[in-house]
Amino acid sequence: MDDKRKPDGIVLTEAQLKSRRQRSVAIALALGVLVVLFFAVTLVKGPAVLVRPL
Amino acid sequence: MTVVDHNTIELSPRISEAAPADYIALLKPRVMSLVIFTALVGLVIAPGHVHPVLAFTSILCIAVGAGASGALNMWYESDIDALMSRTANRPIPRGRVTRPEALTFGMTLAFFSVMTLGILVNWFAGGLLAFTIFFYVVVYTIGLKRWTAQNIVIGGAAGALPPVVAWVAATGSLSVEPLLLFLIIFFWTPPHFWALALFRNDDYARAGVPMLPVVAGPDATRLQILLYTIVLVAIATAPWPLGYFDAVYGVTSLVLGAGMLGFAINVYRHRVGSAALRATRKLFAFSILYLFGLFATLLLEVVVRALVPSIW
Repeated sequence: MDDKRKPDGIVLTEAQLKSRRQRSVAIALALGVLVVLFFAVTLVKGPAVLVRPL
Repeated sequence: MTVVDHNTIELSPRISEAAPADYIALLKPRVMSLVIFTALVGLVIAPGHVHPVLAFTSILCIAVGAGASGALNMWYESDIDALMSRTANRPIPRGRVTRPEALTFGMTLAFFSVMTLGILVNWFAGGLLAFTIFFYVVVYTIGLKRWTAQNIVIGGAAGALPPVVAWVAATGSLSVEPLLLFLIIFFWTPPHFWALALFRNDDYARAGVPMLPVVAGPDATRLQILLYTIVLVAIATAPWPLGYFDAVYGVTSLVLGAGMLGFAINVYRHRVGSAALRATRKLFAFSILYLFGLFATLLLEVVVRALVPSIW
C-alpha cells in the first residue's frame, strides 16, 4: 500500500492549520474561564446562588 | 442512475486564516478599555460591599458586552469601514474575518455576557447590559448613524451606560450618582466625536456618513462643540455643589473643565489651515484626558478613603 498517497478533499496550508490551532486554544481558554467563573461564584454565594433578585 | 465523479467537482471553500488577534480587534479594545474604566468607577463608588469575585464578574461581563457591540458594529459597517482610512485596516475590510463570522462572534459574546451577568450577579444589571448592546447596535449603528447628524448625540447614551450597569450590578438598584456619571459621558461624547469628525471630515464625506461637519459644515460644528462643552463642564461640576461628590472632585472638575473649555474655544477661533487642524486634534486628545481625569479622581478618592479612613 502506498503510504504517501495524497489525501482526498481539502488540504489545509501551514498558515491555515496554525490559525485554526490558535483559534481552538482561544476558545478552550474562554470556556475554561467561564467554567472557573461559575465555579467561583457558586463558592462565593453558597446556598444564595439560587437567590437572584430582579 | 447518475454517477458523479467527485474529482470533477471544483471545491474552493474559503478557509479562514484569522488569528485570535483578528477577533480581539473586532472587540474594539481601546473603546473597551474606556468602558472597563468607567464601569469600574461606577462599581467602586456604589455603596456597600461587593465581593471581589462578583465585582470581577460584573466588569468582565460589561467588557465582553462592549466587545460584542464593537463586533456587531463592525459587522454592519464593513462597507463604510472599507472606505475610510481610519477603519480600512479593520479585520473585515482586510479580508481576515467574514461578515457572517463577525456576526456570529458578536451575537455569541452578547448572549454569554448578558446571561452570565444575569445569572451570576442580577437580572436588572443583565437586562440593562442587553439594552446597552441593543441601543448601540440597533438604535445607533443600524438606525441613526447613516440617517441623522445627531447620530452620536443620541447614540452617546450607549457609551454612557456602562457605569450605570456596574452600579446596578453592585447594588441591584438605581440612584442619582450613576445617572450623574451617565450625564457626564453623554455630554462629553459630542465634543469628543465632533472634534474627531472635523479632522476626519473627508473620510466621513467619502463614506456618506452624515456627521455634523459633513452635513452642517465645520463652522456650525465648532459652535456646537463649544455649546456642548459649556453644558458638559457645568454638568460635570454640578455634583460637587449638589453634595453628591466632594470638594476634591469639584476642584479637579473645575481645573479640567477650564482646560476643556479653553481647547473648545481654540477650536471655535481657529477655523483655517494647520492652526485649525492642531486645535481640533488637541481638543480630541484632551477630551480623553478630561474624562479619564474626572473618573480617576472619583476612583482615587474611594481608594484613599479605604486605605486612610482618617483623612475624611
